[in-house]
Amino acid sequence: MSGLTPYAAAFASAAGRVVRRPGELAVRLLFYVVILIVFTALWPAAAATAGGSIAGYSAQALLWYVTVAEASVIATKPRLIEDIGNDIGSGAVATEMLRPVSVFGLRLAAETGEALVRLAMALAMGCAFMLLVKGAPPRPAAMLFVIPSAVLAVAANLAAQHTFAGAAFWLNDAKAAWFLYLKFVFLLGGMLMPLQLFPVWLERVSWALPFWTMAYAPARFASGHVDLWLLAGQAAWMVVLASVAGAVFAAGERRLEVAGG
Amino acid sequence: MLAIEAEGLRKVFTGRGGGPKGRRRTRSVEAVRGISFSVEAGERLAYIGPNGAGKSTSIKILTGILHPTSGTATVLGLTPWKQRRDLARRIGVLFGQRSQLWFELTPRQSFDLLGRIYGLDRSATRLRVDELGGLLDSRDLFDAPLRNLSLGQRMRCELAASVLHRPEVLFLDEPTIGMDLVAKQRFREMVVRLNAEQGTTVFLTSHDVSDIEQVARRVIVINGGTLIYDDRVSRMRRSVLSTKLLDVRFEQPPAPGSLDFDGMQVIKETGLGYKLVVDTERRSIREVLDTLLDTQRVADISVLDPPLEDVIARIYERRPS
Repeated sequence: MSGLTPYAAAFASAAGRVVRRPGELAVRLLFYVVILIVFTALWPAAAATAGGSIAGYSAQALLWYVTVAEASVIATKPRLIEDIGNDIGSGAVATEMLRPVSVFGLRLAAETGEALVRLAMALAMGCAFMLLVKGAPPRPAAMLFVIPSAVLAVAANLAAQHTFAGAAFWLNDAKAAWFLYLKFVFLLGGMLMPLQLFPVWLERVSWALPFWTMAYAPARFASGHVDLWLLAGQAAWMVVLASVAGAVFAAGERRLEVAGG
Repeated sequence: MLAIEAEGLRKVFTGRGGGPKGRRRTRSVEAVRGISFSVEAGERLAYIGPNGAGKSTSIKILTGILHPTSGTATVLGLTPWKQRRDLARRIGVLFGQRSQLWFELTPRQSFDLLGRIYGLDRSATRLRVDELGGLLDSRDLFDAPLRNLSLGQRMRCELAASVLHRPEVLFLDEPTIGMDLVAKQRFREMVVRLNAEQGTTVFLTSHDVSDIEQVARRVIVINGGTLIYDDRVSRMRRSVLSTKLLDVRFEQPPAPGSLDFDGMQVIKETGLGYKLVVDTERRSIREVLDTLLDTQRVADISVLDPPLEDVIARIYERRPS
């Protein structure tokens, strides 16, 4: 870790720690493959009954969409909000406040390091599975954009989770926030299906919120649509979410300083 | 030179009290009530009190985690709650019930990461870890998986992590809690050695009387958020720590009157088990043990420090009203 800043060192160390928990990683990847198996049966049947494509997505496009959408979301810890909330509620975060660096910055760097390793493994496994079972993606060149978009998706997701978890500075409990947040990502983030398949009003709501940056955007590239503005939108939301999360943590730390843990 | 200076420190926690919904009142608890003291650089201070006395609140104020409600404090010339990150580079903190090491890493790997967090380069961290391995007799522990270490071994690694960046002041909050006697003894020796060889100021909170006697040279006692005693440990030993407790199990009941001797008193009797209190100013523990072993059939015996509550009660007894 020579020459690394504290945040880069936390990122690198956390990335290395993921592979020290092979059991957890294996269970998560197994679950991911099971989901893909279910979808490989579901989407072709749905597309066939709709005349070969749904809202401009062929069965092949939908399968590659789901492969990348799921990989982007399962890369982060499912209960991260609850974990952060517990650390705040139990006062463990006070130990981190005694370090000469930003509590939020160090946590975000470490979580990103872990998540990107999981993302790489999930994408490699998902893409290999889909290639073997259903063949190449509809537009292989578009897959080049999946990588930066999936990285931005994971980073935006983690920043947003820290924002939600920051509620624990005031509520001492982030369980409700965790449950609500996951539902938003599953549904409004387009993890289960592309936003274009929603009723118009729900699609509009989804576009207005940041959750599409966490699953829909990289998955849209995988389905063969090269909409480069999605990358710009993801980057912009990432900056907004990280700024809000940083502000929530700073306010939470001030509250802790005044009111106690 | 002063390392720590506190003047009229006060902390009031405000929260919602119990009661029916809609009629809940705001409740205030005054955890620290106007405490003033100073600590010289290089001192070893025990800051003690029973549970809820305000020890942890004081340590959190002095390390910058908490804002005081009123009063002032400086640590190494910095105001902790205003200059927390600057101060963090110059102090070390060890909470007995919180780990700063990463569970999946060996202590050495955690030290590498902590070194980066404190702005040390890799070679400086390596040299320091090597130095601490020798100083704390822990070199062989640094490459073991953290989960394989006993609590005492892990706390030695935690201590090394706390002083990795050569802090000038080391805050230890209940560091020996949960440790067995041997591990406690070893840990205390390490803290004293750090202070002697590196001049680190030690600020120790504990409710274990032995921590005070073996680590500190000066003791501050707080109770109910108020400072009630501030003196040298040697003086405290003479005035309020002059008793030891003996927990004795006899093989057969002692003859009536055979335990009545000067400087010792029976305070509890349950079958063959006796609890005795010895005034060590009047009679040494060795003398009492010799007498007991010569005159009685003893199955088991242990020597204990008086509980902190008793020490505090004695402090109150001796205070001018």
